[in-house]
Amino acid sequence: MTDVLLPLSIAVPIVAATLPLALGLRYDDVGWPVAAVTTLGVVGSAAAVALEVYTAGPFDHELGGFAPPIGIELVADELSAAVFLLVALVSAATLVLSRAIGPRGNAFHSAYLLLTGGLVGVALTGDLFNLFVFLEIVGLTTYALIAADRSGASAYASLKYLVVGTVGASLYLVGVGYVFLATGTLNMADVSTQIVEQASYTDPLIRAGYAFIVVGFALKIALFPVHSWQPDAYQRAPDAVTTLVAALVSTVSAYALIRVSYSVFTVDFLAANDAITTGILVVSGVSILAGSALAVMQSDLKRMFAYSSVAQFGMIAAAVGIADETALLGGVVHLVGHGLMKFGLFCGLALLAAGYGARRVEDLASLARDAPFAAGALAVLGLSLVGIPPSVGFLGKWYIALGAVRSAGATGGVVGIGLAAVILASTLFTLAYVARVIEQLYFAGVDREAAAHGVTAPGDRGGPGDGTDRDAGSAVADGGDGGNAGDGVDAAVPGTVPTAPLVVLVVAALVTVGLGFAGAGFETLLDPYLSEVFA
Amino acid sequence: MTGATAALTAIPPYLVVAVASLLVLALPRAVGHGLGALATAFVFAQAVLLGDGGTGAHLATEFLGFDVVLFNVDPFSLLMGVVVGFLATAAVLYAYGSDAPKWVTSLALIYVATTIGTIYAGDWLTLIFFWELMAVTSTLLVWQYGGAAVRAGYRYALFHGTGGTVLLAAVVVHFANAGTFLFSATTGIHPAATLLAAIGIGINCGFIFLHSWLPDTYPRPHVAASVFLSVFTTKTAVYVMYRAFPEGGMWLAYLGGFMAVYGAFFALLQYDPRRLLSYHIQAQVGYMLAGLGLATAVGEFAVTGGFAHLFNNVLYKSLLFMAVGVVIYRTGLEDIREMGGLWRVMPVTFLVYVVGAASITAVPGFNGFISKGMVLDSAHEVHNYVLLLDGGLLWWLLVLGGVGTFMSFIKLGYYVFFHGSATLSPDDATAFQTAGMLLAAGACVFFGVFYGQLIELMPFTEIIRSDEVYFNPYSTSHLTESAALLVAGFVGFFALKRPLGWLAHHMRDVDAVLFPAAFYAGRWSVWGVTEGWAAVDRATMRFVAGAKWVAMNPRQLLANAGVDAEIRAGIGRSVLFLTLTAAVTLFALLLG
Repeated sequence: MTDVLLPLSIAVPIVAATLPLALGLRYDDVGWPVAAVTTLGVVGSAAAVALEVYTAGPFDHELGGFAPPIGIELVADELSAAVFLLVALVSAATLVLSRAIGPRGNAFHSAYLLLTGGLVGVALTGDLFNLFVFLEIVGLTTYALIAADRSGASAYASLKYLVVGTVGASLYLVGVGYVFLATGTLNMADVSTQIVEQASYTDPLIRAGYAFIVVGFALKIALFPVHSWQPDAYQRAPDAVTTLVAALVSTVSAYALIRVSYSVFTVDFLAANDAITTGILVVSGVSILAGSALAVMQSDLKRMFAYSSVAQFGMIAAAVGIADETALLGGVVHLVGHGLMKFGLFCGLALLAAGYGARRVEDLASLARDAPFAAGALAVLGLSLVGIPPSVGFLGKWYIALGAVRSAGATGGVVGIGLAAVILASTLFTLAYVARVIEQLYFAGVDREAAAHGVTAPGDRGGPGDGTDRDAGSAVADGGDGGNAGDGVDAAVPGTVPTAPLVVLVVAALVTVGLGFAGAGFETLLDPYLSEVFA
Repeated sequence: MTGATAALTAIPPYLVVAVASLLVLALPRAVGHGLGALATAFVFAQAVLLGDGGTGAHLATEFLGFDVVLFNVDPFSLLMGVVVGFLATAAVLYAYGSDAPKWVTSLALIYVATTIGTIYAGDWLTLIFFWELMAVTSTLLVWQYGGAAVRAGYRYALFHGTGGTVLLAAVVVHFANAGTFLFSATTGIHPAATLLAAIGIGINCGFIFLHSWLPDTYPRPHVAASVFLSVFTTKTAVYVMYRAFPEGGMWLAYLGGFMAVYGAFFALLQYDPRRLLSYHIQAQVGYMLAGLGLATAVGEFAVTGGFAHLFNNVLYKSLLFMAVGVVIYRTGLEDIREMGGLWRVMPVTFLVYVVGAASITAVPGFNGFISKGMVLDSAHEVHNYVLLLDGGLLWWLLVLGGVGTFMSFIKLGYYVFFHGSATLSPDDATAFQTAGMLLAAGACVFFGVFYGQLIELMPFTEIIRSDEVYFNPYSTSHLTESAALLVAGFVGFFALKRPLGWLAHHMRDVDAVLFPAAFYAGRWSVWGVTEGWAAVDRATMRFVAGAKWVAMNPRQLLANAGVDAEIRAGIGRSVLFLTLTAAVTLFALLLG
């Protein structure tokens, strides 16, 4: 009976997506309750599926009773259950955030439900073409959501993502077409057997198919150098949308990459094609370094952590390319952990932006005094992103680096060692930009007295020689007319953080740290999947 | 093993002494000192009782995954336990009689506890642990006195910190090569660690040029503290030297010979009584090392000689420190030229001094005569570089050291107790000082007369008693040898009194060069490191500032370079990148 949950978890949000619009004709503000009830249902379903998978093993569902390989199949195994659970929890948590800081319209909630359905679909589908459909649902709703606040910049970012994302999705579709030509099937499990029976791992059709699919995914994941849609999209989207998109959209694409690489093409294909694994590793390495370096250069907080995602997904892609059991475990752990951490980080930034108007690094000066919990959670999540134990960020990086070194030891290759060195270097870069944030939050002094004094009598500190407190002082001086918390004159900035999302944020930070102790748990839960893939 | 013995082997003696050390601080002075004496007496009694079938590796356990033995009982550790326990008891009584503050006795006891831990260690890991603790506790004991002792204590800590680190390195090298820390698994330390071990232990032994901490430190703290310090660190080092090099080596024997001469010679030049005695520590350690070094060349007899000398030295050297300690305690003077004629007013102290001096100079009837005779006999069997009288270089070095010892103790006794008229009239030793001294003095005479008991306590008793060796200290040749040394000593001292006095003003030990050299080297290296680092720091900060500017103003950088372009990718360029990436991937995969 549990297998019915799989189609329901996808269909219910998609069908419910029509409700806010339909009911909105008659009632205002009906979107949030509909979205909340539906998402709670998805969370419950995810919990039930995860319980079933991790206790009784994987199971599947044939849509409409048509048997695969002709019919479409939904599959829940150890990997997809983890991603399903992450999608459900983060979606629900985002709803708490969006309730407090917006956007709140019925249209937003329709798009939100559609996106949730698409994300769950990507996680659960067992069919290559069906995967494309869900990716497109995710993509289209994301384009709409990014432009949700109707500003010019976000419209441009949305358009850019639309054009580039469509080309990327087309590349994936071309790749699937090639594979279909070679094997005559679209069911993932069937393709993996048909590749051996009807073609070979070195068949040009298969190779070209995989190349198109990987490039398509690379764009969706936002790996360097095809990441250019991502920083704009993250920066310009409404804060709650950024939180959802950054935590889930690239994550399910990376999940799809793992799924297609290991369940469809299999590790033997990777072993038979050194060129492609080397290519993946090079691109991931460059992505890690370039993403980290670009993140350090940013002053806009959301853009900074957007580039950070480029680097972190580089690590996950590297875990795919290493083709080592430990590294792949690290990749999956980092996939889930990164989703959680980025949710927390963007949620925290959204709260500080909503509460204090902080959008750039220098705006954070001394906010730890006003918002101790939000600042503390941000610091914890940031350090976890750096990879300081105990944290899930450390676990993921550790397993990936360990797998890289081990595979280098097994093959004597320099690539593995080089990759471990790159991960270490990116850890330093990550520390650099996280340290900037923490330094501003906790140590950048703001002389509130002088600032308040300055508002009442601007002439007092007009001279350039009267730098009250380095950059921070002048930043506050600049912000004084825009939205300084100390003034209390600007109604747009409340000077407090909404409570419900703050609780969610703190819980996310605690879970991030708590999962750092769960290394053995991850190993046990994911072991059936990994040993099957690496059989 | 009987039940009582088994129970005894379950009690680590160093814990008992460590607890006593804490109690001394907490309890009233008399009670605390009484408990301290009982604790050390327990160590003595335990070692004596365990001598009857209690040997073995007790309290063997695992620490950090390594096998360790926390209470290793064999003939060598037992004889150390006997003498350390006995002497520590006497020293606690002496400390009580010398108005030693509670802190002195407490620190001295914790120092004794670490010494006992080192002695009973059954593996290098435990040994190095207690060895480092010994360095710390003895430094604290020196520092406690304040004043000039503080600076000397710093130098002492530097020496022993270095020595401990070098020995630690030796232990690490040993483990890396041997794969175990246990004494029982290897014969001494692994050859790869020879040099490190020799230097690390050698610093504590007072090797020539590594010895300057000895006369520098021991004259400075409380007189009671000196009694403790004078016997434990150096003698434990000799014992550890045997653990590291049970097969000895001629390098060790000759080093010992030169130490005997060097120490005795510099002792002759001293006027501070405790400083004079400190140089004799180096000389006496030389005799012990000579005995241990001959382990292979001569055999077990030489090792027994070395250990017997160690055993006796603990007794008479502390006795001498106690005796001059009483004089310093009563007169407050630290220069023997200002003393004189004290034998009338301090008869007990004088008597004890004579016993100690007779022991250290090897007068028949005292314990030093027995053990020094064994070492000299062993050295006589070595015939490298034969000089006069069929004696090799080593033998002559030891004999020369013996003459020097006679001369310097004649000098010490002459200046302190005779030498002009008595201008001072201090009281004699206090009751507890006398008790402590009589314990040690009694042992000196006892083992000199009943030397069979001494042999009984030593390892290899059977071999010494066997017919091939048949050791007889009171043979004619030994007695003539001793008489010759005595005569040479008297003649030498009174003949060379004036030249020696002149030399004392002009001859400086290595510390005259070593201490300033170390000081200026330290100063310059600190300056060099600081300035060098500051330069690196400035360069780094300049580089970081530049990198930061470039990172923050990439467009400005391009504009400065004359390139006027938008570097952020727009829609068109993004699609171009994507297409190019796809093309490159296809080519790489299909053609690669």
